[in-house]
Amino acid sequence: MPKTSIQRRLIAAVVISQLALAVGLAFVAVYFTRRQLHDAFDAQLRGRAMSIAALVRYSEEEHPKLIFEDDLVPPSLEKQHPDLYQVRAGDGHLIAQSENWPGDLHPTPAGNREHANFDFDGVEYRAVIIDRLPVLDREPDIPPGDVLNVIYASPTDETTLAIAFAGVGIGLGSAVLLLITVGLAVWGLRRGLRPLSELASSASAVSTSNWELNPSNDARETLELAPLTSAMTTMLDGLHRAFDQQRDFLANAAHELKTPVAVLKSTLQSLLQRPRATEEYRAGLEEALQDMARLEKLLHSMLRLARAEQWAAGSTRRDLEIIEVAPTCQSAIERLAPVARERNVTVDLNTNGAMPVRADAEDLELVWANLVENAIRFSPAGNRVQVRLHADGGHGVVEIADNGPGMTPDELAHIFERFHRGDSSRARATGGYGLGLSIAKALIEAYGGTIVPESTPGHGTRMVVSVPLRT
Amino acid sequence: MRVLIVEDERRLAENVARSLRESAGYAVDVTFDGEEGLYMAGSNPYDLILLDLMLPKMDGLSVLKAIRRSGSAVPVLVLTARDEKESVVALLNAGADDYVAKPFDLGELMARAKALIRRGKGQSAAVLKVGDLEISTADLTVRRKGKAVGLTAMEYRVLEYLAHRPGAVVPKTELLEHLYDFNWERFSNVIEVYISGLRRKLDDTGDTKLIHTLRGQGYMLRG
Repeated sequence: MPKTSIQRRLIAAVVISQLALAVGLAFVAVYFTRRQLHDAFDAQLRGRAMSIAALVRYSEEEHPKLIFEDDLVPPSLEKQHPDLYQVRAGDGHLIAQSENWPGDLHPTPAGNREHANFDFDGVEYRAVIIDRLPVLDREPDIPPGDVLNVIYASPTDETTLAIAFAGVGIGLGSAVLLLITVGLAVWGLRRGLRPLSELASSASAVSTSNWELNPSNDARETLELAPLTSAMTTMLDGLHRAFDQQRDFLANAAHELKTPVAVLKSTLQSLLQRPRATEEYRAGLEEALQDMARLEKLLHSMLRLARAEQWAAGSTRRDLEIIEVAPTCQSAIERLAPVARERNVTVDLNTNGAMPVRADAEDLELVWANLVENAIRFSPAGNRVQVRLHADGGHGVVEIADNGPGMTPDELAHIFERFHRGDSSRARATGGYGLGLSIAKALIEAYGGTIVPESTPGHGTRMVVSVPLRT
Repeated sequence: MRVLIVEDERRLAENVARSLRESAGYAVDVTFDGEEGLYMAGSNPYDLILLDLMLPKMDGLSVLKAIRRSGSAVPVLVLTARDEKESVVALLNAGADDYVAKPFDLGELMARAKALIRRGKGQSAAVLKVGDLEISTADLTVRRKGKAVGLTAMEYRVLEYLAHRPGAVVPKTELLEHLYDFNWERFSNVIEVYISGLRRKLDDTGDTKLIHTLRGQGYMLRG
């Protein structure tokens, strides 16, 4: 089971950010609502304090005595917890106070503000303390004299309750919005990620019998998936080719192994058919060993080809040194001397200047040996095989030409196919299995070179090998 | 019986030829290419042809078709390295009687070859019966009235050939053609030597006469 899920991680990120947003917004909303309600309360409190102050006037009889018209006091905000007020003159003597004013209450503002909070009668009160208010109601001809100090307090429980209600309302609203947005985000993410799972299911439909990746339209048209889809298609094409190549090779190899195995088997079975003399057994076993040797040679060639093709396909190649081509040609020709003698064919080698290449000497020798052996095999007795080396630009060119019967373009098209035999009787007579040219081609291609056959029926065949030179 | 092997893998052809000579007592000709195979099939009266498919000069399937086109009904056993259904079907449709896939078992090949020869002669049992004479083609033994009769290899070949066509007159030249391959000198009087040997071993015991000589025509085996 995979431990991480892109979808779950994206959903978690969305939920966490939405949650943070909702909580932050709720806090801001609650903070401003609270401040608004407090400010409104304070404004109301101040207004009432001013109205109380407006009820003080100078007495007409005992001037300049201040009197308070207490029948004009505005009704309390709350019946259960009536408001408190106190009015003192500038010199400190009490002018008026509410009936319920407790004797020991002396609200003092904290710091330089004009408000104070205190508990009274089981609830919290908030008071506004306004000092040095002029007496408003006075005769025009009387100069301003006394000032008033007013304290007015109201219970804050209703405001506190209103703030709590607002908080709960904002919280609930945020929660509901949070649920809706999270739901939308999850739905959107699932929908947005669907091409990915569609691509996965079309990828899982790919098998060795169906190499086609058929992505859905959504997956094909998704910007982010396009590179993945094209990479997968390219990879599948490569795998398909390699798989087919391996399967063909295996089928060919199995098929080609049947004949040498049949020979070996028939040799041993016919030996066992009846009791024989020791000499007959010895001869039979020696024949079986020869059959084995041919089988071994075929296996060796097949492995060599498989390896060369791997290199040609870009597999890692061991470090190579720079070598000269001519000595490898020379030793290949020497190796084939017995074959050439047997068929009465002469091999001429023409070298011209230095031809350094980066290659394995043994590989090159095998390439020349395969090509020269073919040329010898197809040359009529008494003829010559020409091997000519020359540099051409940045390439070293090796030409191997015979005076054999040549090939038609149709025959030429097949010579590099594995296990292809132009003429099976001749190939088998020399122990060939139709792998020599395939091996030569794969090796030369592994070194970045080319082999081009040129032939016309009746005029012999020329193989032109070109390999990049290194200096 | 005379068999033609057309197989370009020389060692395999030689092994099969040796086995046919040793275990069935057949005369065997071997050729390594299709053209020569077709020529030989047309110029000698073979009782069986073993035909490879991958042949130089002319492939096995073309040889087979040419043989059938010439009107020959000789049994053909194909040796093939392919055993996919399609190619087997194509082979049988082209007139092959049977096939073995390489690498085959020599014992199985021998048994199939013998069965094809018997069927080519209109016989299907592995033991040929003429009157009280029994010839087991599987182990090359002969019994008369249940008693084993010891024959030389050539005497057995002559008797088996006659037993495949009981009651028919077989000319001496036919016997020669079917009992000798190209490697053998043909001496017409050797047949008479084998016939007299067979008479001595089978008929001179006082039983009913089985081998009849028709002067100027040939020999006949009749129960």
